Amino acid sequence: MPLGMDLGSREVKIVEMTDGLVVGRLSYDTARFYREFGRVSGGSLSVSFDALGFPGHKNLVLTGYGRNTIRMDGAAVISEVKAHTLGAIHQTGLMDFTLLDIGGQDTKVMKVTSRRMEDFVMNDKCAASSGRYIENMARVLGMELSELSLYFQDPASLSATCAVFGESEIIHKMAEGVPQSELAAGVNLTIVKRTLPMLGRFPVGPIVFAGGVARSPAIARLLERHTGRSVITVPEPSYNGALGCALYA
Amino acid sequence: MEKIGFTTTVPVETILAAGLRPVDLNNTFIASEDPNALVERAEAEGLPRTTCGWIKGLYRAAQDAGLSGIVAVTQGDCSNTQALMELWQSQGMRIIPFAFPYDRDRDLLALQMRKLMDALGTEEEASRKKFDALKGLRKKLSLLDRLTWEDGRVTGGENHRWLVSSSDFDGDPEEFEARLDGFLGEVKQRPSNLAPSVRLAYIGVPPIFTDVYELIESAGAKVVFNEVQRQFSMPFGAKDIYEQYALYTYPYDVFGRIRDIKEQVSMRGVDGIIHYCQSFCFRTIEDIILRRELKLPMLTVEGDRPGPVDARTRIRLEGFIDMVRDMKGAG
Repeated sequence: MPLGMDLGSREVKIVEMTDGLVVGRLSYDTARFYREFGRVSGGSLSVSFDALGFPGHKNLVLTGYGRNTIRMDGAAVISEVKAHTLGAIHQTGLMDFTLLDIGGQDTKVMKVTSRRMEDFVMNDKCAASSGRYIENMARVLGMELSELSLYFQDPASLSATCAVFGESEIIHKMAEGVPQSELAAGVNLTIVKRTLPMLGRFPVGPIVFAGGVARSPAIARLLERHTGRSVITVPEPSYNGALGCALYA
Repeated sequence: MEKIGFTTTVPVETILAAGLRPVDLNNTFIASEDPNALVERAEAEGLPRTTCGWIKGLYRAAQDAGLSGIVAVTQGDCSNTQALMELWQSQGMRIIPFAFPYDRDRDLLALQMRKLMDALGTEEEASRKKFDALKGLRKKLSLLDRLTWEDGRVTGGENHRWLVSSSDFDGDPEEFEARLDGFLGEVKQRPSNLAPSVRLAYIGVPPIFTDVYELIESAGAKVVFNEVQRQFSMPFGAKDIYEQYALYTYPYDVFGRIRDIKEQVSMRGVDGIIHYCQSFCFRTIEDIILRRELKLPMLTVEGDRPGPVDARTRIRLEGFIDMVRDMKGAG
């Protein structure tokens, strides 16, 4: 049975398929995954399929940050952009679109034409405006991610998109009496503003939204408002890459 | 022999004509035992973290190189060089400014070149003789370049290392040519490598990464064109030294570079382009024009500090090569 695994920076996602249908999905916190299932041998980290609950598995395809550093015997490796493109085509049935994937520590934008990726861009070297930034800001605001992802009205103006410096700016605004809902909307808008130059590189077709951050309906709304394009969030945003791997297997 | 450093390619013929040993400080920096330590020491002295890694590396590399002076390119490279030059000057280093005229004005260029001759105590005739003497060596470098793209006997990484070194010929053109003869002799014994592969162009300044060519090869692609490195080798067959430095594209406007890149990628059958930008460099802005003008898939990668390619850049490179391979297969 095909198994796809996305070794992300924050979560490891696994999708199992049978006859083109998803029959199982699992996710682990990345640090916990390495701690519990990783074994250092021969100078590299290997992961046991048996311990993961997939004994004797032969048909595994990997992607994600960890793909070059951990060893999984017999596994094939594909690039993130390819995995996400395959996953998004499968999840939407579309042929032509711009795929926006916002993960734990990076953002990718892919141009898909006739079901083929034609070009892509990725953000620069930091976790600015990625899942990590939203997590930090939610903690500062004392909100669950699920609550933060509902606010899009009257966003407060925030300038720092840095996952670290954003914190002091939010605290300063809280002290000024800016309402929590506006700060939360401001955090969501910050993410959108950071992706606009990347989306502008491929200015045609609908935006297909995937990756863990696509679980936020507020960000999808703000994306629509600021691009004037339709935004389609895939049904399983976090599993899109793992699904693409399983489809490739 | 006294050594003269320089901050980017300048008329090396004139330095040699003056009986001096040319030292391209970029090569001294990147080939040093621990280039990252040079950057860190420069930062410890106060050079900002948000400044080009090459500038910081050059700054420290020059201090340990035993130079009797430095030719600093104040126009045609970046304005950070001007502050770097002033910093060296304030520490007692002899500085000889050199400016490539932005609009490639031949009279102004000739004037600059003659001023360099005067400053180094040599004459036009001696530079002309060195120009003639280096013709054979430059032809051999062109042959090496041809053996890279035409029949794949020279790897992209080897091409990079030889051509990037031709800015100062490692200080000694005769010794360099002897080594090059040995290399070309060895290469001719190799079988041609014409297996289908993703053919890439590398454009922009040479990488601060130490293993980018190896990484590209391991991902199943070949670099068949190194833009700026090839420019350093002056492959133009120019009639004289003045024409040579007027045809050289790097220090002038981006449009001359684009004409050269278009011609070469078409001739070499290139499938995709990697545009390398140094963090904080003005050339990252030119990326917009390059993308607009060059109609091939292009990946822009940015490097800051010396060392191996970081995990993020590696992921981008592998994804790009994969994409170009798929496009080529489908094409």
